[in-house]
Formats: sequence, C-alpha cells, structure tokens
Amino acid sequence: MFGVWLSLVLLLCLLGGVAGFWWLQRRRQQQKEALLRRQLVSVTQSSRQTGDNIAHDLRTPLTRLRADVEDALRHDDSEMHRATLERVLDEIQNMQNIVNALLALSQAEAGVMRVRKKTVDLSGLLEELIELYIPSAEERQLTLQGRIAPNLNIEADRQLLARIFANLFDNELKYVPAGGTILLTALASGPHVEIRVEDDGPGIPVEMRDKIFERFARLDPSRTLSGGSGLGLSLVKAFAQLLQGEVRVVESSLGGAAFILTLPASAAELSKPSP
Amino acid sequence: MVKLLIIEDDEAAAGSLKRGLVEAGYAVELAHDGERGLQQAQAGDHDLWVIDIMLPGRDGLSVLKTLRDQGRRTPALILSALGKVDDRVEGLRVGGDDYVVKPYAFDELLARIEALLRRVRSFGSGPETMLELADLKMDLLSRNVTRGGQEIDLQPREFRLLEYLMRHAGQVVTRTMLLENVWEYFFDPQTNVVDVHISRLRQKIDKSFATPLLHTVRGRGYILRPEA
Repeated sequence: MFGVWLSLVLLLCLLGGVAGFWWLQRRRQQQKEALLRRQLVSVTQSSRQTGDNIAHDLRTPLTRLRADVEDALRHDDSEMHRATLERVLDEIQNMQNIVNALLALSQAEAGVMRVRKKTVDLSGLLEELIELYIPSAEERQLTLQGRIAPNLNIEADRQLLARIFANLFDNELKYVPAGGTILLTALASGPHVEIRVEDDGPGIPVEMRDKIFERFARLDPSRTLSGGSGLGLSLVKAFAQLLQGEVRVVESSLGGAAFILTLPASAAELSKPSP
Repeated sequence: MVKLLIIEDDEAAAGSLKRGLVEAGYAVELAHDGERGLQQAQAGDHDLWVIDIMLPGRDGLSVLKTLRDQGRRTPALILSALGKVDDRVEGLRVGGDDYVVKPYAFDELLARIEALLRRVRSFGSGPETMLELADLKMDLLSRNVTRGGQEIDLQPREFRLLEYLMRHAGQVVTRTMLLENVWEYFFDPQTNVVDVHISRLRQKIDKSFATPLLHTVRGRGYILRPEA
C-alpha cells in the first residue's frame, strides 16, 4: 500500500516538475519574443534617422573628393595631381574611419560582436590608458589625472574596455580647452564598479545629454569643425551595453561634463574599495 | 630573392599589391582562388604567404589550416574583410602569424611582411640579451640603456617601445604595429597617442647626440637606423 502511494507521489512530483519546466521555458520564450519585438521597433525607428545621417556624413567627403578630382583632371600639372592624390587618400582614410566605426557599432548593437570575457585587472588597465594618453593631454596643455581604487577586478573584455576609455579620452582631448583638467575616478560600488571621466570644460547642456550618445550627434551644428567620426560616444554606449553596463552624462563638480560608466563586477572578484 | 605567394580573388587589388611588392624587391606569385592557392603553396618554396579570408570555393582559413595540418610552417599573413572582429582571433588560431584588415594601407602591409620575414630569420638564434644599434646599447637583462656610454633613464613603457624598435631596426614600423605590440591594443585611437610617446623617446635617445637614430617616415611610421 505504502509502495503504491509512494509511486503515486513520485509520479505527481515528476508531472509537476515537467509542467513547471514547460511553463518556465514558455515564459522565457515569451519574454525573449517581447524583448526582440521592442528591439526591432527601436531599431526600425532609429535606422531611418541614422540612414539620413550616414548619407549626409558620407556625401560631404564624397562631394569634396569629386570636386577635387575633377579640378585636377582639368589641369595638366603633375605636382598638382600629386597634391590632389594626397588629399584624396586622407579623405578616403576619414571615410574608412566612419565606415569602420559604423560597422563596429551595428555589430555591437545587433549583439553579433563576440565578447571575450575574462577577469580583467581594471585598475591596471585604467592606469595604463592614462599613461598612454598623458603625453597627448600634456601636448594640448591639459592635465589628465586618475584616482583609481586598487585591485578592481571585473569580468569583461579587455579590448572593449580599452576602446570605451580611449573613445572617452579622445572626446575629452577634443573638447576640453587648453589649461583644463580631466579626471578619471574608479571605485567599487556594491555589485558594480563606477568609473567617472570628468572635466572642467564647457560641459553639455541638459537637453543634449541623451542626444550626444546618438550617431553623428555633435554639439557643434556645423559638424565638420571637430573632425572625428561623430560616432565615438555611440560606440561607448554600445560597448558598455555589450558588457551589461551603462553610461550617462551629468554635470561634473569640476564644472564641465562627467561621463559615468557603471559596469557589473562579479562580487567574488571584487575587492573592498580602498578607505 | 624573397618569394611571396598572394592568394587573393580580387584581381585588381592583387595586381596593385603585386606591383608594389615587386617594386619593394620581392618575387611575387598570385593565385585567385583557394584551391589554386593551396596547390601553389604546396608546390612552391615561398618565404611567406599572404592569404585573403574571403575566397571563392575554398576560404583562406581552410587553405591555411590544411597547409598547417600538413606541417608547412611558412609564415602567413591574413587579410580579412573589413571589421570582422573575430577573424583576427580565428586567423591566428588556425596558424596565421599576423593579420591585416581590408582596406589596408600598402605601407602597413609591407611593414608587416618585413617584420614577419625578419622574425622568421632571427628564429632559432637563441634569446637575445643585448641589443645594439650604432652607439645605442640595450641590456635586456639588467634593463640598462646607454648611448655613447652615457646612461639613459627610460620608463618601463619607453623601454618596451625602444626594444620593439631595436628588434626591427632598419625597418619601418607603423603606429598600429606599435599599439599592438607595445601596448597590446588592437584598435586605433583617434588621438595621435603613439606619436607623442615617440617624440618623448626621441628626446631621451637622440636629443644630446650628433646623429639622430629615430626617424619619422612621413605617412608611414617610424624607423630606427644610424643614417638619416
């Protein structure tokens, strides 16, 4: 009798387990589908606007290229031809940079860029990047400083992390006027690490703070003034998301802009913040 | 004469590449698809292969993997389509020795070919402990650097930068090569970070000496050599 009851209970447990598993799977599937739908809607909305911007940003150099080459062809001057070819090559390089950045961006946003996560010594990496950029900052009469908590280890892709900070530094070096200060702070905050890159430059108006992460967004409406692909901050955002992090910009206590990047750190790997 | 095999299906691109490499003093053989490339590589005694990944029929990675599986150790430089990030890792995994993204600058490719050939030539000569160029001496064990007997104080990164330049003395090295080999970053920042580090190094090794050793090659990169 007991045996029969036991079999019955076991059978019920098994059925319950199967049903529970099926229900969980279905819910996961539904959540996935909803997420995909949301992503699709947002991609379609943004892609039209992006397409316009890409067309604009590639048409400008194309126009210049065409005029330059036509002008050279009207003349029979080998010195002038050489100068034209050199300008053409520079312009091709600029366009190549834009295309490369766009490609990286779409791969990152579509989630097809492979992320190679390993334990990264974030403190060491940030010190290295500061060391890499200090001479360039000094050349522009800028002070670049780091206040980095020791032994910050995170699970992330070293190359992606480095590209995020290189893009942020490139941006700072371009926009902070000579005599300015750029400060990088990194510390552990609960299950995250928070890294701030801030400056005492002109800052970013409140209404522009979300827009600057969009493709080809520039504070300067004339667009061509600053050079660059206009995609650096979009890349920062896309790479941060690939690493399950996020980036935002606020006003810095130094008076300029503060980019705040939050990244998850596996708790076991994370040391206590320094006192 | 150093013999190169280029396996590249874009005939126009392969043609320009061949012209440039012949002018640089190499003997160049071309193959326009994977199957023929594989046969030519097996039949020839090339010093280096340049292999495009995207090939009709049999792709470049499979060609290289087959050659490596057959025990052929000829150095291989891989060309990949623009921006396929994983190709670099994949290419090096199947036995590629270096990797260049298309569209590449000819000078970048040439510099890397020269670096690869040099690496192969110096292979087996045992680990070096002392690097020398004219009166510049670098002791890799004591990490002591002197020029004309005078001690030069270098930061750790400057030491690595100079070591790389010394190991490639007489040969143009590009900014990208320096970023990859000295800093281990596989992307190019928009800021001229490498140039400024080079000019700091130049201050230390050249400034108070009559003959400069570290030269800028316009549009290409840098070269360390005793004559201008």
